[in-house]
Amino acid sequence: MNDWPHRFETELVRLGLQPERAHRLSVETAAQAGEHAADPDHFFGPAHLYARHLVAELRVSTFEEKRAEAGRVMLRLAGVTKRYRRRTVLAGVDLTVRGGEVAAIVGANGCGKSTLLRICAGLTAPTSGTVQRIRRVGFVPQDGGTAGWLTADEHFTLFGAAAGIAPRKARSTGAHLASLLAWRPTAAQPVQELSGGTRQKLNLVLGELHGPDLLLLDEPYQGFDQGSYLDFWRQVHVWRDAGRAVVVVTHLLHELQHVDHVLDLGGAA
Amino acid sequence: MTPRPWLHGFLDLCLLAMLRERPDYGYGLAQRLAAAGVADIPGGTLYPALLRLEQQGLASPSWGPSESGPRRKYYAITPAGLDALSAQADEWRGFRDGVDALIGEHVR
Repeated sequence: MNDWPHRFETELVRLGLQPERAHRLSVETAAQAGEHAADPDHFFGPAHLYARHLVAELRVSTFEEKRAEAGRVMLRLAGVTKRYRRRTVLAGVDLTVRGGEVAAIVGANGCGKSTLLRICAGLTAPTSGTVQRIRRVGFVPQDGGTAGWLTADEHFTLFGAAAGIAPRKARSTGAHLASLLAWRPTAAQPVQELSGGTRQKLNLVLGELHGPDLLLLDEPYQGFDQGSYLDFWRQVHVWRDAGRAVVVVTHLLHELQHVDHVLDLGGAA
Repeated sequence: MTPRPWLHGFLDLCLLAMLRERPDYGYGLAQRLAAAGVADIPGGTLYPALLRLEQQGLASPSWGPSESGPRRKYYAITPAGLDALSAQADEWRGFRDGVDALIGEHVR
Protein backbone atom coordinates (compact mmCIF):
# COMPACT_ATOMS: atom_id res chain seq x y z
CA MET A 1 0.00 0.00 0.00
CA ASN A 2 2.68 2.49 0.99
CA ASP A 3 5.10 2.95 -1.93
CA TRP A 4 5.99 6.52 -0.93
CA PRO A 5 9.73 5.74 -0.40
CA HIS A 6 9.89 4.09 -3.80
CA ARG A 7 8.22 7.01 -5.57
CA PHE A 8 10.47 9.43 -3.66
CA GLU A 9 13.60 7.53 -4.69
CA THR A 10 12.50 7.34 -8.34
CA GLU A 11 11.91 11.09 -8.44
CA LEU A 12 15.32 11.81 -6.86
CA VAL A 13 16.99 9.73 -9.58
CA ARG A 14 14.93 11.50 -12.24
CA LEU A 15 16.19 14.81 -10.83
CA GLY A 16 19.77 13.70 -11.41
CA LEU A 17 20.93 12.23 -8.08
CA GLN A 18 23.15 9.16 -8.10
CA PRO A 19 21.01 6.02 -7.54
CA GLU A 20 22.91 5.00 -4.37
CA ARG A 21 22.53 8.45 -2.86
CA ALA A 22 18.84 8.53 -3.79
CA HIS A 23 18.35 5.16 -2.11
CA ARG A 24 20.14 6.28 1.07
CA LEU A 25 18.07 9.46 1.23
CA SER A 26 14.87 7.50 0.69
CA VAL A 27 15.65 5.07 3.53
CA GLU A 28 16.60 7.97 5.80
CA THR A 29 13.51 9.95 4.94
CA ALA A 30 11.22 7.03 5.71
CA ALA A 31 13.04 6.61 9.06
CA GLN A 32 12.57 10.33 9.82
CA ALA A 33 8.81 10.02 9.40
CA GLY A 34 9.08 6.92 11.60
CA GLU A 35 10.68 8.98 14.38
CA HIS A 36 7.50 11.01 14.49
CA ALA A 37 5.34 7.89 14.23
CA ALA A 38 3.92 9.42 11.05
CA ASP A 39 3.21 8.24 7.54
CA PRO A 40 5.69 9.85 5.06
CA ASP A 41 2.86 10.98 2.80
CA HIS A 42 1.22 12.77 5.70
CA PHE A 43 4.49 14.06 7.20
CA PHE A 44 6.33 15.27 4.08
CA GLY A 45 3.51 15.59 1.54
CA PRO A 46 3.48 14.08 -1.97
CA ALA A 47 6.69 12.15 -2.75
CA HIS A 48 7.60 13.95 -5.98
CA LEU A 49 7.12 17.41 -4.45
CA TYR A 50 9.24 16.65 -1.39
CA ALA A 51 11.94 15.20 -3.68
CA ARG A 52 12.07 18.48 -5.63
CA HIS A 53 12.13 20.49 -2.42
CA LEU A 54 14.97 18.44 -0.94
CA VAL A 55 17.09 18.57 -4.09
CA ALA A 56 16.62 22.34 -4.30
CA GLU A 57 17.59 22.76 -0.63
CA LEU A 58 20.71 20.64 -1.00
CA ARG A 59 21.83 22.44 -4.17
CA VAL A 60 21.46 25.88 -2.60
CA SER A 61 24.07 25.17 0.04
CA THR A 62 26.70 24.18 -2.50
CA PHE A 63 25.98 27.23 -4.66
CA GLU A 64 26.86 29.70 -1.97
CA GLU A 65 30.25 28.17 -1.37
CA LYS A 66 31.30 27.72 -4.96
CA ARG A 67 30.34 31.09 -6.42
CA ALA A 68 33.51 32.20 -8.20
CA GLU A 69 34.83 35.71 -8.84
CA ALA A 70 34.04 37.14 -12.26
CA GLY A 71 36.72 35.85 -14.62
CA ARG A 72 38.13 36.86 -17.98
CA VAL A 73 36.06 38.56 -20.67
CA MET A 74 34.20 36.00 -22.77
CA LEU A 75 32.16 38.40 -24.89
CA ARG A 76 32.52 42.10 -25.66
CA LEU A 77 30.23 44.14 -27.89
CA ALA A 78 31.16 47.77 -28.58
CA GLY A 79 28.91 50.17 -30.48
CA VAL A 80 27.09 47.38 -32.30
CA THR A 81 24.55 48.67 -34.81
CA LYS A 82 22.34 46.72 -37.19
CA ARG A 83 20.35 48.24 -40.04
CA TYR A 84 18.17 46.52 -42.59
CA ARG A 85 17.96 49.05 -45.46
CA ARG A 86 16.67 52.21 -43.78
CA ARG A 87 15.38 50.47 -40.65
CA THR A 88 17.67 50.58 -37.61
CA VAL A 89 17.18 47.45 -35.49
CA LEU A 90 20.05 47.96 -33.06
CA ALA A 91 21.87 51.20 -32.30
CA GLY A 92 25.14 51.47 -30.38
CA VAL A 93 24.85 48.38 -28.20
CA ASP A 94 27.63 47.80 -25.64
CA LEU A 95 27.87 44.64 -23.54
CA THR A 96 30.71 42.93 -21.69
CA VAL A 97 30.23 39.50 -20.13
CA ARG A 98 32.94 37.74 -18.10
CA GLY A 99 33.30 34.14 -17.02
CA GLY A 100 31.06 33.50 -13.99
CA GLU A 101 28.46 36.04 -15.10
CA VAL A 102 24.94 35.85 -16.49
CA ALA A 103 23.59 38.58 -18.79
CA ALA A 104 19.94 38.91 -19.79
CA ILE A 105 18.78 40.58 -22.99
CA VAL A 106 15.25 41.91 -22.53
CA GLY A 107 12.82 44.10 -24.49
CA ALA A 108 9.55 44.04 -26.39
CA ASN A 109 8.83 41.60 -29.20
CA GLY A 110 10.54 42.72 -32.39
CA CYS A 111 13.14 44.93 -30.67
CA GLY A 112 16.04 42.89 -32.04
CA LYS A 113 16.82 40.50 -29.16
CA SER A 114 17.28 37.46 -31.38
CA THR A 115 19.22 39.46 -33.97
CA LEU A 116 21.60 40.63 -31.24
CA LEU A 117 22.11 37.08 -30.00
CA ARG A 118 22.91 35.92 -33.54
CA ILE A 119 25.43 38.76 -33.76
CA CYS A 120 26.97 37.55 -30.49
CA ALA A 121 27.21 34.06 -32.00
CA GLY A 122 28.80 35.34 -35.21
CA LEU A 123 25.90 34.12 -37.36
CA THR A 124 24.84 37.62 -38.38
CA ALA A 125 27.26 40.47 -39.17
CA PRO A 126 26.66 43.85 -37.51
CA THR A 127 26.39 46.91 -39.76
CA SER A 128 28.98 48.62 -37.59
CA GLY A 129 30.70 48.13 -34.25
CA THR A 130 32.94 45.34 -32.95
CA VAL A 131 32.27 41.89 -31.50
CA GLN A 132 34.95 39.97 -29.61
CA ARG A 133 34.25 36.51 -28.25
CA ILE A 134 36.20 33.49 -27.07
CA ARG A 135 36.44 30.51 -29.36
CA ARG A 136 34.19 27.90 -27.77
CA VAL A 137 30.62 29.12 -28.00
CA GLY A 138 27.36 27.20 -27.52
CA PHE A 139 24.32 28.65 -29.30
CA VAL A 140 20.75 27.54 -28.56
CA PRO A 141 18.29 29.10 -31.03
CA GLN A 142 14.61 29.52 -30.31
CA ASP A 143 13.54 27.01 -32.92
CA GLY A 144 16.18 24.37 -32.87
CA GLY A 145 18.18 22.86 -35.68
CA THR A 146 17.09 19.33 -34.83
CA ALA A 147 16.13 16.66 -37.33
CA GLY A 148 12.72 15.11 -36.60
CA TRP A 149 13.49 11.60 -37.81
CA LEU A 150 16.66 11.16 -35.73
CA THR A 151 16.69 10.03 -32.07
CA ALA A 152 18.18 12.04 -29.21
CA ASP A 153 21.18 9.66 -29.10
CA GLU A 154 21.81 10.16 -32.81
CA HIS A 155 21.77 13.92 -32.28
CA PHE A 156 24.34 13.55 -29.49
CA THR A 157 26.57 11.50 -31.79
CA LEU A 158 26.15 13.88 -34.72
CA PHE A 159 26.73 17.11 -32.79
CA GLY A 160 29.56 15.42 -30.88
CA ALA A 161 31.25 14.46 -34.15
CA ALA A 162 31.10 18.09 -35.31
CA ALA A 163 33.01 19.06 -32.15
CA GLY A 164 35.48 16.16 -32.38
CA ILE A 165 33.97 14.07 -29.56
CA ALA A 166 33.94 10.27 -29.88
CA PRO A 167 30.41 8.78 -30.32
CA ARG A 168 30.33 6.88 -27.03
CA LYS A 169 31.53 9.90 -25.04
CA ALA A 170 29.06 12.17 -26.84
CA ARG A 171 26.17 9.85 -25.96
CA SER A 172 27.11 9.52 -22.30
CA THR A 173 27.69 13.27 -21.98
CA GLY A 174 24.32 13.92 -23.64
CA ALA A 175 22.55 11.51 -21.28
CA HIS A 176 24.19 13.16 -18.27
CA LEU A 177 23.32 16.71 -19.37
CA ALA A 178 19.73 15.57 -20.07
CA SER A 179 19.43 14.15 -16.56
CA LEU A 180 20.30 17.59 -15.13
CA LEU A 181 17.15 18.83 -16.85
CA ALA A 182 15.18 15.87 -15.45
CA TRP A 183 14.96 14.23 -18.86
CA ARG A 184 15.77 10.64 -19.77
CA PRO A 185 15.89 10.19 -23.55
CA THR A 186 14.11 7.06 -24.74
CA ALA A 187 16.13 4.92 -27.15
CA ALA A 188 14.75 4.59 -30.69
CA GLN A 189 12.25 7.44 -30.26
CA PRO A 190 12.52 9.95 -33.11
CA VAL A 191 12.69 13.58 -32.03
CA GLN A 192 9.47 14.49 -33.90
CA GLU A 193 7.55 12.42 -31.32
CA LEU A 194 8.88 14.51 -28.41
CA SER A 195 6.85 17.32 -26.86
CA GLY A 196 7.91 20.91 -27.59
CA GLY A 197 9.38 21.28 -24.11
CA THR A 198 11.46 18.11 -24.43
CA ARG A 199 12.74 19.15 -27.88
CA GLN A 200 13.83 22.39 -26.24
CA LYS A 201 15.75 20.36 -23.64
CA LEU A 202 17.46 18.52 -26.50
CA ASN A 203 18.46 21.91 -27.95
CA LEU A 204 19.95 22.94 -24.62
CA VAL A 205 21.92 19.70 -24.31
CA LEU A 206 23.23 20.04 -27.86
CA GLY A 207 24.32 23.63 -27.21
CA GLU A 208 26.31 22.49 -24.20
CA LEU A 209 27.62 19.14 -25.44
CA HIS A 210 31.10 20.39 -26.34
CA GLY A 211 31.60 22.22 -23.03
CA PRO A 212 31.54 25.80 -24.37
CA ASP A 213 32.87 28.73 -22.31
CA LEU A 214 30.15 31.06 -23.57
CA LEU A 215 26.49 29.97 -23.77
CA LEU A 216 24.04 31.98 -25.87
CA LEU A 217 20.42 31.03 -25.20
CA ASP A 218 17.32 32.37 -26.98
CA GLU A 219 14.29 31.90 -24.65
CA PRO A 220 15.25 28.25 -24.29
CA TYR A 221 12.41 27.29 -21.93
CA GLN A 222 9.42 27.59 -24.31
CA GLY A 223 7.02 24.77 -23.54
CA PHE A 224 8.70 23.87 -20.23
CA ASP A 225 6.48 23.01 -17.30
CA GLN A 226 7.11 24.72 -13.96
CA GLY A 227 9.52 22.05 -12.72
CA SER A 228 11.60 22.06 -15.91
CA TYR A 229 11.68 25.83 -15.82
CA LEU A 230 13.20 25.78 -12.33
CA ASP A 231 15.65 23.08 -13.44
CA PHE A 232 16.66 25.37 -16.30
CA TRP A 233 17.50 28.35 -14.09
CA ARG A 234 19.29 26.09 -11.64
CA GLN A 235 21.38 24.85 -14.57
CA VAL A 236 22.15 28.45 -15.62
CA HIS A 237 23.55 29.01 -12.13
CA VAL A 238 25.58 25.81 -12.27
CA TRP A 239 27.17 27.01 -15.54
CA ARG A 240 27.85 30.41 -14.01
CA ASP A 241 29.39 28.89 -10.89
CA ALA A 242 31.60 26.72 -13.09
CA GLY A 243 33.08 29.95 -14.50
CA ARG A 244 31.22 30.03 -17.79
CA ALA A 245 29.53 33.08 -19.25
CA VAL A 246 25.81 32.91 -20.08
CA VAL A 247 23.77 35.29 -22.22
CA VAL A 248 20.04 34.59 -22.21
CA VAL A 249 17.29 36.30 -24.17
CA THR A 250 14.22 36.46 -21.97
CA HIS A 251 10.95 38.30 -21.52
CA LEU A 252 10.40 37.05 -17.97
CA LEU A 253 11.30 40.00 -15.79
CA HIS A 254 10.97 38.21 -12.46
CA GLU A 255 14.11 36.20 -13.25
CA LEU A 256 16.26 39.32 -13.53
CA GLN A 257 17.19 39.33 -9.85
CA HIS A 258 19.36 36.28 -10.59
CA VAL A 259 21.48 37.84 -13.34
CA ASP A 260 24.53 40.11 -13.31
CA HIS A 261 23.77 42.32 -16.34
CA VAL A 262 20.49 43.37 -17.89
CA LEU A 263 20.58 44.77 -21.43
CA ASP A 264 17.22 46.41 -22.16
CA LEU A 265 16.64 46.95 -25.87
CA GLY A 266 13.37 48.77 -25.16
CA GLY A 267 10.40 48.89 -27.51
CA ALA A 268 10.02 47.48 -31.02
CA ALA A 269 12.41 48.96 -33.59
CA MET B 1 4.78 30.38 18.07
CA THR B 2 6.91 32.20 15.50
CA PRO B 3 5.58 32.16 11.94
CA ARG B 4 7.88 30.11 9.78
CA PRO B 5 9.32 32.86 7.50
CA TRP B 6 10.99 34.44 10.51
CA LEU B 7 12.67 31.25 11.55
CA HIS B 8 13.95 30.45 8.08
CA GLY B 9 17.03 32.70 8.24
CA PHE B 10 18.01 31.53 11.71
CA LEU B 11 17.14 27.84 11.66
CA ASP B 12 20.73 26.77 11.06
CA LEU B 13 21.82 28.93 13.99
CA CYS B 14 19.22 27.31 16.30
CA LEU B 15 20.19 23.81 15.21
CA LEU B 16 23.91 24.43 15.68
CA ALA B 17 23.28 25.96 19.10
CA MET B 18 21.33 22.91 20.24
CA LEU B 19 23.96 20.54 18.84
CA ARG B 20 26.71 22.39 20.73
CA GLU B 21 24.91 21.45 23.92
CA ARG B 22 24.68 17.77 22.97
CA PRO B 23 24.41 15.54 19.90
CA ASP B 24 20.80 14.84 18.98
CA TYR B 25 18.56 13.36 16.28
CA GLY B 26 15.82 14.99 14.23
CA TYR B 27 12.83 14.29 16.42
CA GLY B 28 14.70 15.35 19.57
CA LEU B 29 15.73 18.65 17.96
CA ALA B 30 12.15 19.33 16.85
CA GLN B 31 10.96 18.74 20.44
CA ARG B 32 13.61 21.07 21.87
CA LEU B 33 12.74 23.84 19.39
CA ALA B 34 9.07 23.55 20.34
CA ALA B 35 9.85 23.41 24.08
CA ALA B 36 11.99 26.57 23.77
CA GLY B 37 8.95 28.30 22.25
CA VAL B 38 10.83 29.03 19.03
CA ALA B 39 8.79 27.07 16.52
CA ASP B 40 6.75 23.99 15.69
CA ILE B 41 8.92 23.07 12.78
CA PRO B 42 7.60 20.92 9.93
CA GLY B 43 9.67 17.86 9.03
CA GLY B 44 9.96 19.13 5.47
CA THR B 45 11.93 22.11 6.80
CA LEU B 46 13.91 20.40 9.57
CA TYR B 47 15.38 17.39 7.79
CA PRO B 48 16.64 19.16 4.66
CA ALA B 49 18.31 21.69 6.99
CA LEU B 50 20.07 18.87 8.87
CA LEU B 51 21.24 17.31 5.60
CA ARG B 52 22.54 20.71 4.54
CA LEU B 53 24.55 21.06 7.76
CA GLU B 54 25.95 17.59 7.13
CA GLN B 55 26.82 18.43 3.51
CA GLN B 56 28.58 21.64 4.55
CA GLY B 57 30.62 19.77 7.17
CA LEU B 58 29.08 21.74 10.05
CA ALA B 59 27.56 18.65 11.69
CA SER B 60 28.69 15.02 11.48
CA PRO B 61 26.20 12.14 11.57
CA SER B 62 26.37 8.81 13.35
CA TRP B 63 23.80 6.05 13.67
CA GLY B 64 22.46 5.11 17.07
CA PRO B 65 19.94 2.49 18.20
CA SER B 66 16.51 3.36 19.54
CA GLU B 67 14.44 1.45 22.10
CA SER B 68 11.56 1.25 19.66
CA GLY B 69 11.43 1.54 15.90
CA PRO B 70 14.19 2.24 13.38
CA ARG B 71 17.74 3.32 14.31
CA ARG B 72 18.33 7.04 14.64
CA LYS B 73 20.71 9.41 12.87
CA TYR B 74 22.44 11.52 15.51
CA TYR B 75 24.24 14.74 14.62
CA ALA B 76 27.25 16.21 16.46
CA ILE B 77 28.67 19.68 15.86
CA THR B 78 32.10 19.85 14.14
CA PRO B 79 34.87 22.48 14.66
CA ALA B 80 33.70 24.18 11.43
CA GLY B 81 30.18 24.09 12.89
CA LEU B 82 31.38 25.88 16.02
CA ASP B 83 32.95 28.63 13.88
CA ALA B 84 29.73 29.00 11.88
CA LEU B 85 27.73 29.08 15.11
CA SER B 86 29.70 31.97 16.58
CA ALA B 87 29.56 33.95 13.31
CA GLN B 88 25.80 33.42 12.98
CA ALA B 89 25.22 34.26 16.63
CA ASP B 90 26.86 37.65 16.02
CA GLU B 91 24.61 38.21 13.01
CA TRP B 92 21.57 37.29 15.07
CA ARG B 93 22.48 39.71 17.89
CA GLY B 94 22.99 42.54 15.40
CA PHE B 95 19.63 41.77 13.79
CA ARG B 96 17.83 41.45 17.13
CA ASP B 97 19.31 44.72 18.48
CA GLY B 98 18.39 46.51 15.27
CA VAL B 99 14.77 45.33 15.42
CA ASP B 100 14.59 46.21 19.12
CA ALA B 101 15.88 49.70 18.41
CA LEU B 102 13.25 50.18 15.69
CA ILE B 103 10.44 49.00 17.92
CA GLY B 104 11.59 51.23 20.79
CA GLU B 105 10.42 50.93 24.37
CA HIS B 106 7.02 52.54 23.83
CA VAL B 107 5.61 49.85 21.58
CA ARG B 108 3.97 47.05 23.47
